[in-house]
Amino acid sequence: MPEWTIAFIRATAVYLLVFAGARWLGKRQLAQLTLFDRITVVAIGVVAGALSLNLAGSLASALPPLVVWIGFPIALFYLSIKFKTVRDLVQGKETVLINHGKVLDDKLLEIPMSAEDLLSQLRRKKVFNFADVEFAMLEPDGELSVFLKKDKRPVTASTLELKVGHESVPQTVIMDGIMMDEPLTAMGLNRRWLHEELEKIGVAPENVFLAQVDSVGQLYVDLFDDAVHLPQPKTKELLFVNLKKAQADCELYALATKDPSAKQMYTEAAGLIAEMVVDLAPLLKR
Amino acid sequence: MTVSGQVKQTLASLKGARSTLESFAAVEENVEAKRAYTENLQRLDRVIDGIEKRLQVLEYEEPQYKGL
Repeated sequence: MPEWTIAFIRATAVYLLVFAGARWLGKRQLAQLTLFDRITVVAIGVVAGALSLNLAGSLASALPPLVVWIGFPIALFYLSIKFKTVRDLVQGKETVLINHGKVLDDKLLEIPMSAEDLLSQLRRKKVFNFADVEFAMLEPDGELSVFLKKDKRPVTASTLELKVGHESVPQTVIMDGIMMDEPLTAMGLNRRWLHEELEKIGVAPENVFLAQVDSVGQLYVDLFDDAVHLPQPKTKELLFVNLKKAQADCELYALATKDPSAKQMYTEAAGLIAEMVVDLAPLLKR
Repeated sequence: MTVSGQVKQTLASLKGARSTLESFAAVEENVEAKRAYTENLQRLDRVIDGIEKRLQVLEYEEPQYKGL
């Protein structure tokens, strides 16, 4: 066999082996890798490279290192799932750096991490004033997790005591011009409904790049032709405005009429619509 | 516009709102949102009912505008 064929077969074998090992090592995000994980990855790469370039001597003597470097992490991984002590040893422990708004300088020294490092990590989390931080923790992978003081946290609906309506994820029903049957049936809709909706806005199905349906069945469409401006549905907003207008109308009629029973009916109607407006605002407006 | 004409317009827009609300209630999967839609549908029905009855009285009083 010529030398290049052997090299080819060798490289292919190593490639497949490393590929299988990488799949087996699991799906952990690269960003979550600890220092040791990174070392493992580099070591596997070096061994695989040396092996396929035939730098490592015979295949028999070079394969065991690869097996060790792939096999040990897997074994350690399963052990660390089972035992907390192994986990702390392998993955490292998280360190509390700021607690109750106070920087724990002895912990900083332990890591070790300088005050500049801490400040720069905080800046990366968009915190420029360390006094805004209630609690900060250095994760095993070197990322800083920051918990801000209550008054520095971003406003949410619950801090404003706003009632917000539930909104489920919109379903993508056309992607790249192709109708997706599965999301449509998940919404309880079908292709005919989609054709009808597209006809309503005057668009041919083949011109649609993306289309999504929200939880109340409104269709949002993006066309291949970016020069065409297509208005997005405003049904919710329109419904809300219509209700408010009807409420104002009823109040007006109540004032205008002289018939007492009619006056009462209009006042009641205005009250009912006012209740609806309050009730539906979270669903229709936000 | 006559009074009955104005009331008819309001009634029409309320009926439009009712159909939109009904379609929302039909498609919405979330139980809570669906309940909110259906409850408000009932409220709207009461409003529409009251105005329709008033419209009959108005048409009786102003027969020349009937059906407009």
